Amino acid sequence: MARMRAAARRVQAWIELRSEDPEATSALAVAVARLVTARGLESLRRFRVFELAGALPARATIEDLLHRSTQFYNPHKERCTLRLRIEDLPPLAKGESAVLVWDRGGERRPAAERWWLHETGRKIEVREGVAWAPRFAGGSDPADAIRELAVVRDRRHGLLCNPHAQESRIAFGEVPLPWIVAERASSPAAEGGEE
Amino acid sequence: MSAARVAVLQFPGVNCEAESVRALARAGLDGEVFRWTRRPDELRDYAAYVLPGGFSYQDRVRAGALAAKDPLLEALAGEAERGKPVLGICNGAQVLVEAGLVPGGGGVDLALARNRMTARGGYFARWIVVRIEASSCVFTRTLEPGTTLPLPVAHGEGRFTSREGGRVLALARAGQAPLRYATTRGTLARGFPENPNGSEAAVAAVCNARGNVLAMMPHPERALDVAALARTVGGVWGERRARAAESARAGGNGDGAAGPGLAVFLGLRRHLEEA
Repeated sequence: MARMRAAARRVQAWIELRSEDPEATSALAVAVARLVTARGLESLRRFRVFELAGALPARATIEDLLHRSTQFYNPHKERCTLRLRIEDLPPLAKGESAVLVWDRGGERRPAAERWWLHETGRKIEVREGVAWAPRFAGGSDPADAIRELAVVRDRRHGLLCNPHAQESRIAFGEVPLPWIVAERASSPAAEGGEE
Repeated sequence: MSAARVAVLQFPGVNCEAESVRALARAGLDGEVFRWTRRPDELRDYAAYVLPGGFSYQDRVRAGALAAKDPLLEALAGEAERGKPVLGICNGAQVLVEAGLVPGGGGVDLALARNRMTARGGYFARWIVVRIEASSCVFTRTLEPGTTLPLPVAHGEGRFTSREGGRVLALARAGQAPLRYATTRGTLARGFPENPNGSEAAVAAVCNARGNVLAMMPHPERALDVAALARTVGGVWGERRARAAESARAGGNGDGAAGPGLAVFLGLRRHLEEA
């Protein structure tokens, strides 16, 4: 167990499959075929998003720790993009927005927190959600279409989040950091770019 | 009189279709697997429908979420509107909830969320006890309110919940929760593991107001014979299991004695005979 210098902060890790994601492929096919307002949906990608909060080491050490544990991702099958500052861009392509979904009250990852404590001697909080990255064809109003895609209302409206058990947030521009536990008014993005 | 035809809907990833057909046959009904590749309008030819357990579409996006958007569900909603019975078991229940067929009213009004258990998470499989509640549900009509049944559960997302606080309890009070988790003595379950998933108001099943659509998390099709009951099952049903085992050892046919799950399918048959 190696002690290391650490500073209190939050980081965000975006995990994406290196191959085509079958879950996103299915979601895209169903959305385009069945949902009233998703006809213009051109692509849909999916990321697992971890947020780590606490006394965290430097970027290289965090990357190494995430890389080493299957609690976070499998480097043979997935790639990880780390965001330490709001200026660090998430791995979104041009035209993509981001819809974050997490289980209400079920976002903490105790097993990952125990692993981190064992490896570093430091207690941190680990939360996980899913970020969907839809891109709509030009001409349609993506904001309205993304809102309609995000939250389930009935058989013809909404897919990604069942609001009776899940929370969702949408970022049309800058992606907040932190995002799963939003700190209202602490981030300009939370006021301007997020719902 | 020929047996009523019942469609057992199978989406990719559903894996309890064979035992569901067997359960219907045991109740004197003609069950037939109806796969997702068939035309939705063919559903009209059936008197009732069962959505069995499994992992439709690998639980992608959310358990039941993708199957709920299938045109078969749109057709099924039309048949349910005409009063035909629909039973969703486990993943089938998740599909009915995500499709808004229960508790009914058009929109998605509930969720079957991830289990909330004491000192553990994820998938959970166990024999539990459910108590029959007063309701208009056609599937529990042969059972007196207060009756307890041991049934198996096996799921990771079985917690009935709503963002509207008190919604699930209100459904129970309105007679739309025909099965609730209970202790072996018949009192409502207060916590884990009697309530195996943290479901609000200990609700194990929700039906629509008319009572012809039922979404239930326990698996009645896995409890057709008393010999199938776990040795941990006590009470009256435990005694029946012991007697059946003794009869089988003596060369009798005790193994074939009806188990607690058969009542759900017998309720369907009674309803179809009287309809």
